[in-house]
Formats: sequence, C-alpha cells, structure tokens
Amino acid sequence: MKTNFNYLLAVAAAITVGFTSCNPTDDPEPDPGQSTAGSRYIIASTPTSSDGVADYLLTAESLTEGTVSTLGNGVEQDGTYRYYVTHKNKFFSMLYGQGNPGAVTTYELNAEGALEKLSDFQSETVQAFGAIDDDIVMVKISRSETNPFASWYRMDADQLQIVDEGTWNQEEIANSGERAFFSWVTQVGDKLFAPYFSIKACCNDTFGTNYPDSAWVAVFDYPSMELNTVIKDDRTSFLGRYFLSGLEVDEQGDAYGFSGSVASSNGEMTSTLPSAITRIKKETLAFDESYYFNVQELADDYYITANTYVGNGKFIVTMNKEKGAYTVGKRFGVADVYNKTFTWVTGSPAEASIVNVTINNYSAKDGLAYIGITTEDGSWVYEFNANTATATEGLKVEGGRITAISHLDPVE
Amino acid sequence: MQYNKILSLVFLCLLFTQPVFSQQDRVFSGIVTDQQDQAIPGVLVKVHGLNTGLVTDLEGKFTIHLPASKEVTLDFSFLGYKTYQEVIAASTNGKKLKIQLVEETTDLQEFTLLGKSELSEIRERAFNVEVVDARKLHHTNLDLGHALDRVSGVRVRESGGVGSRMNFSLNGFSGKQVKFFIDGIPMDDFGSSFQLNNIPINLAERIEVYKGVVPVGLGADALGGAVNIVTKNVRKNYVDASYSYGSFNTHRSVINTAFVAESGFTFQLNAFQNYSDNNYWVDVDVSDIETGKYYPNQRVRRFHDTYHNETVITQLGVQGKPYADKLLIGLTAGKNYSEVQTGARLVSVFGQWHRRGTLLMPTFKYQKRDLFTKGLDLNVNANYNFGSEQNIDTVNRRYNWFQQYKEYDVPGGERSYTLYKFNNNNAVFTANAHYNFGIHTFAISNVFNSFNRMGSDALNPENDKYEQPRKSQKNITGLSYQLNWEEKASVSAFTKIYKQTNYFTMSYNPTGDYGDVAYRNERENFTYPGYGITGSYFVTGNIQAKASFEKSYRLPEPEELFGDMVNLQGNLDLKPETSYNYNLGLSIWKQVNKDHRIDVSANGFYRDAKDFIRARLNNNQAMQVMDNLYSVTNIGVEGDIRWNYKSLLSAGANITYQDLRNNTEFEEGQTASSIVYRDRVPNMPYLFGNADASLMLQDAFGKGNDFNFGYNLLFVHAFYLYWPSLGAEKFDVPQQLSHDVNFTYTTGEKGRLQLIAECKNLLDSKHYDNFSLQKPGRSFSGKIRYFIY
Repeated sequence: MKTNFNYLLAVAAAITVGFTSCNPTDDPEPDPGQSTAGSRYIIASTPTSSDGVADYLLTAESLTEGTVSTLGNGVEQDGTYRYYVTHKNKFFSMLYGQGNPGAVTTYELNAEGALEKLSDFQSETVQAFGAIDDDIVMVKISRSETNPFASWYRMDADQLQIVDEGTWNQEEIANSGERAFFSWVTQVGDKLFAPYFSIKACCNDTFGTNYPDSAWVAVFDYPSMELNTVIKDDRTSFLGRYFLSGLEVDEQGDAYGFSGSVASSNGEMTSTLPSAITRIKKETLAFDESYYFNVQELADDYYITANTYVGNGKFIVTMNKEKGAYTVGKRFGVADVYNKTFTWVTGSPAEASIVNVTINNYSAKDGLAYIGITTEDGSWVYEFNANTATATEGLKVEGGRITAISHLDPVE
Repeated sequence: MQYNKILSLVFLCLLFTQPVFSQQDRVFSGIVTDQQDQAIPGVLVKVHGLNTGLVTDLEGKFTIHLPASKEVTLDFSFLGYKTYQEVIAASTNGKKLKIQLVEETTDLQEFTLLGKSELSEIRERAFNVEVVDARKLHHTNLDLGHALDRVSGVRVRESGGVGSRMNFSLNGFSGKQVKFFIDGIPMDDFGSSFQLNNIPINLAERIEVYKGVVPVGLGADALGGAVNIVTKNVRKNYVDASYSYGSFNTHRSVINTAFVAESGFTFQLNAFQNYSDNNYWVDVDVSDIETGKYYPNQRVRRFHDTYHNETVITQLGVQGKPYADKLLIGLTAGKNYSEVQTGARLVSVFGQWHRRGTLLMPTFKYQKRDLFTKGLDLNVNANYNFGSEQNIDTVNRRYNWFQQYKEYDVPGGERSYTLYKFNNNNAVFTANAHYNFGIHTFAISNVFNSFNRMGSDALNPENDKYEQPRKSQKNITGLSYQLNWEEKASVSAFTKIYKQTNYFTMSYNPTGDYGDVAYRNERENFTYPGYGITGSYFVTGNIQAKASFEKSYRLPEPEELFGDMVNLQGNLDLKPETSYNYNLGLSIWKQVNKDHRIDVSANGFYRDAKDFIRARLNNNQAMQVMDNLYSVTNIGVEGDIRWNYKSLLSAGANITYQDLRNNTEFEEGQTASSIVYRDRVPNMPYLFGNADASLMLQDAFGKGNDFNFGYNLLFVHAFYLYWPSLGAEKFDVPQQLSHDVNFTYTTGEKGRLQLIAECKNLLDSKHYDNFSLQKPGRSFSGKIRYFIY
C-alpha cells in the first residue's frame, strides 16, 4: 500500500487526454484499455524483495493483454519509496524521504513512446498531495508531539517549481486536544478539501484517537490556502485513511466521502459506526444530512479500504472483512452512489490468493478501471467493468508489485 | 610480546652449558628492546670471540660478567632482528646497557617458523584471521577504520570526511553483523566518542580481523566475523606524542604515555583528539531556496560538517605481581560533536542539526597466567558506560547548498524537531579462562551485556514514561577444546550459547471499558546454540593449510528492538540473524634467497546466511523498522601477496572478489520465484583491493636519519545501487581509485623524532562510497611525532 491515486488526478489525466488530443476530427474513440496513437500507459513496479529495492517505470501500449517485465527494462527510480502523480500530461515521481527533502523527477512521453526526464526540482517528503487547477498541492504533516504544524507547498506543474508555501496548525484545526492528520487533499469546486482523522500524536499511540466516530473535512480557500471552515459528520468515522483518499468528486461537482471506519486506540479498533458513504453537495460547505449510504450492511459486513471512481456515480471499491488501519482490501465491489446499490465483482482472483492491491489506479471514467493485483503467482493489471461487475485479467507485470498505473500522451 | 619458549630453551641448551670465566670482575646489566621499546626475551647475548653468552630473561633483561681491563664486543642476536654489536671499552665498568634491536627479515630459513613474532603466531592460528601490524602505520594519519580498509575482504564505506559515519563490511557482512573488540572487550556500547572513525591508529599495537569464524575468547554474537584491536602492552615508561595538521582545517593529536615503576605500579594514559571543518568541495545540484528549482552541477564547499572529539583513557594498577600479571582499573572519558551536513542524498542539506555524545566509562582489567596451577590463564574485564547521546534539531529552517535558508516562525526542526537525549547504561562483563596441559587446551568464556535505556526529550518531557522499561541483557557462553599435534597440526571444536532477555512495555486495556489504557511490563527470553570447528596443518615448514566452520548468530541489538526515538521504530519480534560460515586458506612464506622474501596467502570462503535483519518502512511509513527479511549466500576468494627486498623495499597487494547472491526465493506470500532470486546483492562492492609499496632508506642523511616513502592504492570496482538485473536506465556507484603517498623522516637519538608528510587522493578524483555522497578530494597533512623513553 504505497501509493494513492486521487481520482481527480485520473480525471485530470483523462481531461488532459481530451485536451492534448488537440484535433477532435482525427481523434477516434479509443478502444478501452488500448492507448491511442503514441500514448502509453505508465506502470510503476517495485520488486518483491526486501533489500535494495527501487521502483521501475515501465511503459505499455495495452493494459488488457501482454507482458511487461522489469528485467533489463524500465527507468530506475532513486530511493526505495516513491509516489506518483500525473497532472498536465506530466508524470511526477515523488520520493518519500523519511523527512528529508529530495528530488522530484518529472517525466514526459516522447514521440517514440519513451519516458523522457524533464528537469528535477527539490521538494519535501509529504503525506498528502493532489492536483488543483494548474498546481499540485503537497502537505507535510507532523506526527511528532512537539510539532503541531503542517507545511503546505504549491507546486506549479508548468514551471515545475514551488510557487508558494506556508504552514497550518493541525492542533487548532482539530480543536479537541488531538491533532488533525489529513488523509488526502482534493479539489472540490474552487476549494481545497482536506478530510482528516484525529490523532493523539503522543504517548506511544501516535496514530490512536479518542474520537473514533466522527468524520471531518478541513476546507481551505484557494489559492490563499486560508482555512475557511471545518465540517464534521457524526454518522461515519473519518474519511479515507493514512495516505489514502476518501473523498471523490463526480461529474455533477458533488463530493462523496468514503469511511472505512478504522479508527484505533492503543492498537484496538474502536470505531463503532458502519463503513459508509456520505455526500457534500456542490457549492455547500456541509455534509448532506439527507444522504447516507451504509455499504457495510449491503456488503456482507465487509468495509471499504479504497476506491477508484469510474464515472457516472460508480466506484470500484476494495473491501475487507477484518478491520485494520492499514489492511489491504482483497475483495472488490461496485458501489453505485446514485442508486445506493452494491454489487460484488466476479472474475477477480480469489480473496485468499491476493497479496496486494494497487491503490494508485487508472480509469478514463468510462465505466472501466484498471487495477493492479498481486497474487501468490505474480502481478497483473485487471480490467474492472462497473456496468457488468466483472473483472478480467489483463497485462502481466513481471518483477514485482504494481505501485501505480497511469497514462501519458506523447508531447509534440 | 610473547616468544616461543622452545626457542630460548634451544639456545640455552646449545650454547650456555659451559661454566663462566673465573677472572671476570666486571658486571654489566641491561635490557634489550625492539624499536617500539618492547622488551625482547630470549635474545642471545654473546661475547665476541668467546664461546660464551646468555639469553635475556622474560623481561628482556640480562646480567653478564666480563673479564676486566679488556675491550669486549657483545653480539646481540635474535631471529627476525639485525644482529647488534656493542663495544665495551676496557675502562668501562658496571654500565647499564640499553640495547635496541632493529627488525629484519631473517635469512635463516630453517628457523623462520621458530622465530615467529606474535603477529605471525596469530596469523598461523587455525582461524581465518588477518593481522595488521598497526605499528607500521603509526606514522600515518589513519584512524582505525581507514587502516582496516587496507585488509583483504574488508571494505569501509564512509559518508564524508573526518568523523563521518562508517559502515564496515567483511566478506559481505556489514554493519552490526561484524563485531568490534578492544583488547577482547566488545565495543558495541562505547558510544559515538570512541569508535572506528575517531580512534587513531597509534592506540593500537595490532588489529586482528577474524573472518567468518570467531574464537571463543571473543565471546560475542558476531555473524560474519570480528575485529579485535589490541593495544600496547606496556612494560616501561614512555611518551609517544604526535600532532598533525591538514587540509580542511583538520587537527589531530595523540598522546600515549605510561609509567611503570620497579614495583610493578603502572599508570597509563592515552588521549586523542580530532577536529575537522570537513569543508571540502562537492559537486551538487543546488536547489533554489524558494522554488526548489535546481542549478545543476555547482561546485560548493560543505559548510555544516564540523566534527570534533576528545577522548582520554586512563588506567591505574599493577603488573607482574604474584596475584596478577595485570590488574588495572581505569576511566575512559570523552565527548564528541558532529554537525549533520546531509541526509542520505547530497541534495538533502542541513545547516543547524547536530549531534553530541559523551562517554564516561569506568573499566576493570585483570589478567593472570598460571593461576593456581601451571597452564591455567584467566582474563576478566568489566566496564560500565554512563555516556549519553543527543540529537539536536530545533531550528526550523530549510537550507540549500548556497547556505541560504528559509526560516519558519513555528517550532520545528530541519528534519525532526527534537532534543532527545538518551543514556543506554551499558554494562559489559567478560571473563575467559584457558587451561593448557600437554597437547590439550580447554577454554571457557562468558560475555554479559546489559542495556537499560533511559531517555527524554526536553521538548516533550512527558513522553518517555510510556516507553519504560527498555532493557535488554545478553549472555554468551563459549566452550572450546583444542588439540595441538607436534606443532604441525591443530584442531579445535567449540560451542557458543547465546541468550537474550528483553524487558519492555505493552499497552493494554485493564478494565475493558472504552478508551481505558494501562501499561504492563513484559519479559522475554531466548536461547540459541552455535558451534564450529577449526583446523590447521603445516604441509611443510612454510606452507600452512587451514579450514574452519562456524554456525553463528547475531542477536538483535537493543536499538533494533526498542528503536531510536527518531527514525527507527522498535520491533520486539526480531529473531537473530544466523549464518553458516566456511573458510579454506593456504599460506606460503618463502625466503627466495638471502635478500628476497615472498609471502602469499589465499582464502576461499562461503557464507550461507538467513533472516538478515533489514530495515523496512512501518505500516504508516513514518519510520523504519527492522525485520528478519532476507537470506543471502556469499562465495568469494581473497588473495594477498607481499614481497620484501632486504629491509629496503616492501610491496604488497590484496584483492577480494565476493559473489553475494540473494537467496530469498519466495518473498512473503508469493508462490512464484522472486525475480531477483540469485541476483547479485546490490549496493555492495564485490571486487576491490589494495596495493602498497614502501621504500626505506636507512641512514639516508647521515647515521640515524631514516627516510621512508610509502604509497597506497585503493581500488573498488563500480557496483549498482539497486538490483543489477532490473531496469534499463540505472544508478551506479562508479569505480574508485585512490592514490595516497606519504614521506617519513626519522631522526634524533634512537629515532625519537618523526616528521611525516602525507597526501591522500593524489589525483583529486571524485570518490563516492555511498551513492551521491561525495568524499573529500585531494588533501594534504603534516605530522610530527616524538617519542621519549
């Protein structure tokens, strides 16, 4: 569980696909899962090994067939832990540097379909990041008892440099004696929404909380990054989880919040509410009291661990039975937030055989999602069809876990 | 120094059976020493022209009666040393003689094996051991780490200049898998003020590097070998002082001194100091402080890398008493200050973060040979470290390499806001006994380590109570039996029992009520058995074959169990690392003719190691946590050759090749073979070596003025940072070649004064031990050394 994919970034990528395919007349509708002329899927893979591990960036023309391997192939990424985000048709490889600053490497796709490095720039190790307008906003959130501040950075995705930065007091945001820890940051309308969970940040229970049954979203104005308000809902536990987005915006501009209900205290799971979906209507700064979708009830008591938006109110959700703050969901369902229906997906690998599921996945919002799954036998990209609730084995990725699936168009 | 008793007996029998002269009336007494002022027992003192003489006693002393009123020449001869002649005029009477013998490569082939020094005695043990004669490096500016870097099979990697973090690897094992000892006492717990990167070579008499199989006497949980630093065994008064100054404002001084009274009262003082700005030039991409944009390939000076340490070792006691050959109590005290310039990559640059360490350690040493009965030797050591370590990161700034910074007006640090200071309260107690009768030797040893961390952060004084207790105790017992057969062959079998007890805190819910929490103290015990066998055989008088095997364990370190409160989270479920180590070696000592001598040795080794303790990120990826993750095999060879021409020229080279392979076929949860199964382990040098040459011009500028020129070449083959088989565009650590030269001029009465000039990295080439962390370029230093005795 090393990566996260904000659906917005998928949207952004998808939008960019639309924009950069400049001339609509010679832009035939692509086959799903097959890249358009010259474009490539970018797959980041980490070897399943315990030492000397680096990610490799691979390119593929199709996600539905074939094999791609890291053996003698791929662009090595420096530093073991890296995260990826695609914005404005650029692929950003960000490091997770244990608190140290380090280089962010940016790639474009050249006409030959190969990744070409743009200039590096220096950034901080951050715990949440997301695209908003022309920027990528990154937030470094302190977990140490002595330092209640989070630092934010606004990086211009065209200039490839940081254009603004500042700090927020996470204790003041939580205003409860505990600390607000953002699960992710997401653009909603013209604002930056930062759902958070409350943490003690102390006493040998840093990520524990005494407030396991509430969801909060800190709302910031943009680009001033001033705190506008904090909204709260007591019908679910917090949205998203550590390094994982739990807030997605649909085509109507409404935001849907996903709660796995996985708060803990002193190592015990303490949330008492079901795993459910709530809504924040477009241009409102409050949870929609009239909307509540109890997924756990429909999903045989499974709870949501992660989600990928595929358009038209449908999400591919990964689900798990056993609660845990960092558990990988190994069963898949389709959650239709408009009709409040839940359907189990068929065709995905057996729950018991799954070792890992990628959370930084790709969807062109056409009802299909491409999700990486590692089983005991290896790693594949699976195509999930939200309309038929089926999964089909696609591209095989040899060499390890899939940490991200993305898409780039060639640069002229 | 310990000499072969047989040798002296032989001489005694051969030469000194005749009665002494009758008309003698002059009595001379004296002492014979080597260049290092160590007494030499068993030296033949012969009256020239007369078939008479005697040998020096165990303390190198002698008393001789000579005929009166007659000029007499005394010959002092000993294997391995040049014969020295002292003319005693007819008129001289009752003079105290002080004779110093100069080492020489002996041309008495048939006696080569008898006249061995302690160095070669150790080399010839059945263990795969390499011995560095530290005395030959005393004129250099090396610290122990850099001296060890010249040993085959050893690579010492460092992250910067003076005082920087060193990672020692030996036959593919690295970090804490290799244990360090000083005079047989484990060094793990000495703190940062007394480590490889700051102890000057002058403190050591010799360094023993045990590869793969570690003798029971060094009873510790070493997985892949051990390094024992043996300090000078002082028997008389002396002062050895040196000071050096060099590039990057580097000052180093060392004073070693001892007072030994006739009564055996001994006082020993060793003090050393290192200071360096480490402000050498590096080539780096400098980020714009505001925007993060890089200005590529700028040449800048390091600016926050000052290091200094000061350490004093004192020992007080007696030697040569009936109840103790040596009984010393002492105190080792020191401190160090070290600024942190970079993180793991050169682009992470800091300008204020620094560390401090202190050392305050009472010590106790007891040695007795032939205790109660002949052949029973006992060694007991104990020490307790009250020292502390502190991480100081309280300035909320972000620096770049142009020394510009942004300051944030909220509390914070450059990396992690902290003033955490801890004290590990390490205690070490070691005892070992040998009993030798006839061809049998039994040995038993015990090493007890205790760790009890107390720490707190002034910024957050409440937090530590949640962490108590953090205690760990290790107890390692070794037992060995050795059989020697006619000096030709030796075989030894041993076993070691590793025990560890940990005390820690677990949180739990005492009432079952929501949100309630209490802390419960837990205790865990582990026991593991290890064993091994070694053997050696002299094929001919100057060819020796050796083989050894050990199943070894390394117990998790307290830091790995309990974390370091900054970067490392504890893992109380850690198991020990374990390895099967095999060695096979052959050594040849060949005196080609009177002037030329060649020594060759070759070793092959195989290691099969499991459950390597490696770092991974914890669940929320906020800290690292150590885990048993990984198995490797390593098969390798190393070779050493040395040629001596008289005492004029000496040249040698060593080369190591190791094939370290990933032996983890199935990663957790996988049924398919790992893509990097049997791939070469990355980020580990696999082909490296050293070459050296020295030219000694004795009496080059008049009698007593010696000139020595030395050259050393270090070679490390390029290696990949990550798995070699993966990826097309890759990161590597390029090949390194470093040429170092030094000149030494020795003058004054008995070579009292030495002047040394040294140049490291003569060609100013760029060196990286670790990816992107550039090491110093060309540097110069001068050193002055003075002995009084």
